[in-house]
Amino acid sequence: MSAYREKFEDEPLRNRIRQNPRPAVAWAAVMAVLLALEFSALVDFVMSWPWASLVGGIADNLPQGLATALTGAAGTIAGFGDWLSNLPRLLTRELIPNQGYETASGWESTFLNLPPALAWAIRVTVVYAYAFAFLYWVWRGYLVFREHYRYANWTPTDDMIDRLRDHRWGQFGLIVVTMFVILAVFAPTLGPTTLEANIASPYTHNIQYFEGGEVKEATVGAANLASQSQGDSQNFGLGSYDDYGRFHPVGTLDTGKDLFTFLAHGARISLFIGVVAIAIGGGIALALSMITAYYKGLVDLVAVLASDSFMAMPRLIVLIMLDVVLANHWISTLYSGGVLLALLFGLWGWPGLWRAIRGPALQVVENEWIDAAESFGQKPTVLMRKHVAPYVIGYLLIYASMSIGGIMIGTAGLSYLGLGVTAPTPEWGRAIASGQDFVTSASWHISIIPGLAITLVVVGFNAMGDGIRDAIDPKSEGASADEAAAAGGA
Amino acid sequence: MSRWSYFAKRLVLSIPVIVFGTSLTFIILYAGPIDPAAAILGQGSTPGERAAIRAQLGLNKPLWGQYIDFMTDMFMFKLGESWVIQSETSVYQLMLQYAPRTIWMGAWAVLIPLFIGIPLGFYAGLNPNTFGDYTASFGGIVWRAMPNFWLAVILMTVLSRSEDVLFGFNWKTFLVTTNVVGPPTGLGDLLNVDNFISATKMILPASIVLGSSSMGNEMRIGRTAMLETKNSNYVEMARAKGLPGRTIVWKHIFRNALIPLIPVITAEAAVLVGGSVLIETVFAINGMGMLFFQSMIQGDVPLAGALMYLFILLLVALNILQDLLYTIVDPRVGYERN
Repeated sequence: MSAYREKFEDEPLRNRIRQNPRPAVAWAAVMAVLLALEFSALVDFVMSWPWASLVGGIADNLPQGLATALTGAAGTIAGFGDWLSNLPRLLTRELIPNQGYETASGWESTFLNLPPALAWAIRVTVVYAYAFAFLYWVWRGYLVFREHYRYANWTPTDDMIDRLRDHRWGQFGLIVVTMFVILAVFAPTLGPTTLEANIASPYTHNIQYFEGGEVKEATVGAANLASQSQGDSQNFGLGSYDDYGRFHPVGTLDTGKDLFTFLAHGARISLFIGVVAIAIGGGIALALSMITAYYKGLVDLVAVLASDSFMAMPRLIVLIMLDVVLANHWISTLYSGGVLLALLFGLWGWPGLWRAIRGPALQVVENEWIDAAESFGQKPTVLMRKHVAPYVIGYLLIYASMSIGGIMIGTAGLSYLGLGVTAPTPEWGRAIASGQDFVTSASWHISIIPGLAITLVVVGFNAMGDGIRDAIDPKSEGASADEAAAAGGA
Repeated sequence: MSRWSYFAKRLVLSIPVIVFGTSLTFIILYAGPIDPAAAILGQGSTPGERAAIRAQLGLNKPLWGQYIDFMTDMFMFKLGESWVIQSETSVYQLMLQYAPRTIWMGAWAVLIPLFIGIPLGFYAGLNPNTFGDYTASFGGIVWRAMPNFWLAVILMTVLSRSEDVLFGFNWKTFLVTTNVVGPPTGLGDLLNVDNFISATKMILPASIVLGSSSMGNEMRIGRTAMLETKNSNYVEMARAKGLPGRTIVWKHIFRNALIPLIPVITAEAAVLVGGSVLIETVFAINGMGMLFFQSMIQGDVPLAGALMYLFILLLVALNILQDLLYTIVDPRVGYERN
C-alpha cells in the first residue's frame, strides 16, 4: 500500500512537471506575459489593504527595538510596493483617455485625438479582450494539467465539464455572468468617467471644455447641472455628448451624472452583496446539510423547524425591519450599508438553500461506499467532508447561482424604497427610482436600462444554474420545485 | 397515520415556528439599537415625554418582563394600537381599513398566474421542442427574471399615459373610468357588478406584476412536471390499452403533474407578502405592505411588531394549507412520512 502511494499518489506536482516541462513552461510563459501587463494593478490591490494599521498594531505590542526594526522594514516594503504599483500597466484610463474637448480642428487630449465615443469603445474592448484572454488562459491551464500532469486519465468531473461544453444555454449564462463580473471588477477603468469625479464629489473636480475659441475650465458639478436628463424638455440619451464634450454611452441620470459609470459601480456592490450573501448562506446550508444527513432524526427535525421559522418571516419584510432598526448602527456605515445587506441576505438565505440540498445530501449518505468508509473507522467529519460534501456542493452551486438573482433583485428593491445601499455608492435600484417619472418620455433610459441590466444578469445566473444542473445531473428533466423556492425573488 | 393526525402534527410543529418568529421580532424591535419611545416621538423629544411613553408602553420593566408581556399580548391577539401612523387607532381597525386591498391584490396575484402560467407550462410540456414551447419557455425565463417593482414602474407609467403610448387605447376610460394609481374603490360591496369591475380593474396591473415571478416559475415547473408525467410508464400503459388522448391527459397526467406545483404556489406566498411592499408603494395602494413600510419608516414600533406577527401567522397558515393540499392531491404524502 505505502509503496503504491509513494509511486503514484504522493509524487508532488513539481516532480511531474520536471519530468515533462514543455507544456507547463509554454503555458506559464503566456500567463506571465498576461500577468505582467496588469502586474502593477495586482500590487495596487495588495497595497490597498490596511497594512499600516496592522503593522502599527503589531509594533505596539513589541519591545522598542524590535518595533522600530519592524516599522522600518515595513516602510521599505511599502515604498517598494508603491514603486511597483506605479509601474505602467495596460488597462488604465490614462493610457486610453476618453475625456477631451473638441476644437475646430478636431478632438484634443483624447486617445490619438479620436472622438471620445471611439476612445471609450476601444478601452472597453481592450479591457474585455484582456479579461477574456486571461480567463481563457486559466481554462487552458486546467486543460494542460488534465492532459499532461494528472494521474487519472478520467474523473467524473471530466464528464460534467464535457457536458457543460455542449450546453449552449449554460454557456450563454456563463458569458453573461462573466461580463457582469468583469464590469464590476474593472468598473473604475470601464466608466467614461470616475465615481469619485462624477458622482461622489463632482464639485472638487474640474473638466476642460472648448467654447468660443478657447479652452475653459468648469467643475464637474456645474457640467452635470447642464447635462440633466429631464424628459422631453432636455435629454441626454444613449450614446450622446453633452455640451461639455463628455460622452455618455447610456445617457445621463436626472442629476446629470453619467449612467454608465453609475451602472458599472452599481455592478460592484450588487456582486459584492450577492457573493458574500451566498457564501454565508451557502456555508451555513452546506454545514447543516452535512450534520443533518449524518445524524438524521431529531437533529434533522430541529433544523427543519429552524428553517421553517426563518422562512415564516418574509425576507423582504424582515430586511426592511432590520435595515431601519440598524440605520444608525456603525455596521450600516460599512460600504454604504452593503456589508449589512450582505450579512442579512446571507442569514436569511440559508433555509432555502438548505431545503434544496437536504434531499441530495440524504441520498448520498444512503450509498454503500459511505457504509464502507464508516466501517473502516473513518471519523464522521472526514467522512462527510471527503465522501459526501463533494456531491452536495454541486447541487449547492445550482441553487446558489439561481438565488444570486433573487438577492440582486431584493437589493435593488430595497434601494428603490430608499433603504439598503445609500448614496453616494451607486445601486441599480436607485437609478430605477430616480427615473420612474420619465419612463414614457425621452429620458426613458434612466429607468429602463438598469432594469434591463438586472433582468439580463438574473437570466444569466439562472441559465448558468441550468447549465450546472444539466452537467451534474443529466437525467433531470429541467426545473424543479426546490429551484423556485431558492430563486424566489422580490 | 391518517390525514387528520398528520394535520394535527403539522399544527403542533407550527407552534415553535411562530414562537421563534415572534421572539425574533421582539428582539429586533425592542432589544435592538433603537429606542421605541424615541422612535415614536421622532426628533426633538424631551426626556420627560420619552419617559411618559415608556411608562405607557410598559418599557420600564426589565427586558424579560417586556418580552413576556409582548408574547402574551400577541398570543392573546391583543395587538395594541398605532402610535404614529394613526395614533390611538387599534390595529384591528387599521386592518379593516388596509387589509382588504392587499387581500384583493394578493388573490388576483395568485389567480392570474394560476390560470395563465400553469396552462402555458402544460401546453409547453405536451408539445416539447416546438416553436410554441420555445416561445413559452423563453418568455417564462425572462418574465421571472424581471424585478417586480421595475415592471410595476413601467406598467404604471405606460398605463397613466396609455392614450399617447398604446395607439389610442385609453386604460383610464376602458370599461369604467378609474385612476391608474391609488387604492381600489368599492371593495365594501363586491357583489355589485360595477363595483366589482372597477375594483378589479384598479388592482389588475398591480396583481399581474406581483404574480409575475410566480407565473414564470409555475410555467417552468409545470412544463417539467408535464414532461416527466407524460413519459412515465403508467401513461404508456394507458395509451397501450387504447385510452383516448383526452382521457389520458385529463385523468392520468393532469393530477399527477399538479403535485410538484403545490409547493411553488405556496412558496410564492412569502414573495407576495414581501413584494406587496414594493408594488403597493409604486401603485400607491394603501395596503398592509405599505402600512408596514410606513410604520417602520415613521417609527411606529408597536404597530410594526403586531403586523410582523400577523405576517408570520399568515405564512404559517399558508404552509399548513399547502401540506393539507398535498394530502388531498397526493394521498400518499401523509402516510409515507411515517
